[in-house]
Amino acid sequence: MIGAIVDGGALVEVVWVSLACGLGVTAAYAVAIVGGSRAVELRRDGRAAEATVFAVVGLLALLAVLAAIVVGIVVLSDK
Amino acid sequence: MEGDLLTVAIVVGVALIFDFTNGFHDTANVVATSVSTRAMAPRLAVGYAAILNFVGAFISLEVAATVAEDVVNPSSVGLLAVFGGLVAAIAWNLITWYFGLPSSSSHALIGGIVGAVFVAEGPDAIFFKNGVLGEVMIPALVAPTLAFVVAGLSIVVIYRIVGRLRPGSVTAGFRAGQVMSGGLLALAHGTNDAQKTMGVIALALVAHGNLPASDPTPPTWVVVSAATAIALGTYAGGWRIIKTMGSRIHKMDSAQGFAAQGAGAAVILVSSHAGFPLSTTHTISGAVIGSGAAKRLSAVRWGVAGNIVAAWVLTLPAAAGMGALTYAVTRVFGTGAAGPVIVSVLILAGGALLFAKRAQQARATATRAVEA
Repeated sequence: MIGAIVDGGALVEVVWVSLACGLGVTAAYAVAIVGGSRAVELRRDGRAAEATVFAVVGLLALLAVLAAIVVGIVVLSDK
Repeated sequence: MEGDLLTVAIVVGVALIFDFTNGFHDTANVVATSVSTRAMAPRLAVGYAAILNFVGAFISLEVAATVAEDVVNPSSVGLLAVFGGLVAAIAWNLITWYFGLPSSSSHALIGGIVGAVFVAEGPDAIFFKNGVLGEVMIPALVAPTLAFVVAGLSIVVIYRIVGRLRPGSVTAGFRAGQVMSGGLLALAHGTNDAQKTMGVIALALVAHGNLPASDPTPPTWVVVSAATAIALGTYAGGWRIIKTMGSRIHKMDSAQGFAAQGAGAAVILVSSHAGFPLSTTHTISGAVIGSGAAKRLSAVRWGVAGNIVAAWVLTLPAAAGMGALTYAVTRVFGTGAAGPVIVSVLILAGGALLFAKRAQQARATATRAVEA
């Protein structure tokens, strides 16, 4: 009944893509904050190697966020 | 034909005024969370949102196509019906702005058009099942619910990930993140809302014979003028609604602001891609409430949230009634430009009266505060 009224495929796509993008981007950004903050703390404590690992993880997470945004806008403007 | 040209010019002008009031009315949805968490200064947030609203309007035309083709039959809609719908939407926006209610400009527009077309052309000119219900009302229910869930889950995930960090660095990090999430939300708003005006102008151009009913894609001048009008409206802002959205629903921390804006932007952008003419107001309100409820149910002021829901429920039927009434009043003056001219003057006078009254109340409040 509902399937005859609404484009079910498009609606399901809206639901899962919104969930994946919303949760994925916020989780990745939270990881970026953890990476950056822990890197600063560990460097202050003189633990350079661990600090570098956290900094790299934070940077990768931030790059993932930026990449997700760019890809999202490109997909949107392509249609 | 000259009369027709004047009428189409008035309809396009009124559509751009609606677009301006849409931006003005919806500024709160876009910037309230950034302002509330002090991620950005109010004026900066508003200027930033205005620029990204402008840019967003150029990203896609899917929503414009839905409004121009799928809600009402473009080949049987006249200029006066489009005019009636637009005036109803502007009047509803002004009334809800006056009372500080963040109702949906988008649903006011669609409700107004449906009401006016119903009276002008009859029920056969409206695509109730697949258009109004399938492309507007069902997505209107899904979007805020989805934004509520995404924001709620996001804030749970965020607190889980950053749980052991010092609050200072978390706050600073998410405030910086809100510059990005707030920008995305502004972009999403421009993408979805500016396109509704483009769709309505396309309907008017079909009625006037400038565009074919089979392919009413808005020309470039329509896209540019709609983008400019919504950006200017956004910059002009709406401070009463900012207050409601930013602090009266619940007090937010920067992580909640980020989660709410991220969830709202994701839902609106994906829906724009699918061509659903969503309400940014509904969506971001759902996200704001979701980010508060996931932290602590009692943190949400459910009374204020209830008032917002009541405004949502009222918007479509109220705007439809006003659209029908506006069309009937306009039609009293015939089918030419006289009706639109007279009704435009009346709505401008009504708007000016509401602005003057609001300014007077603001001055009185300021005077009382100084005396106290």
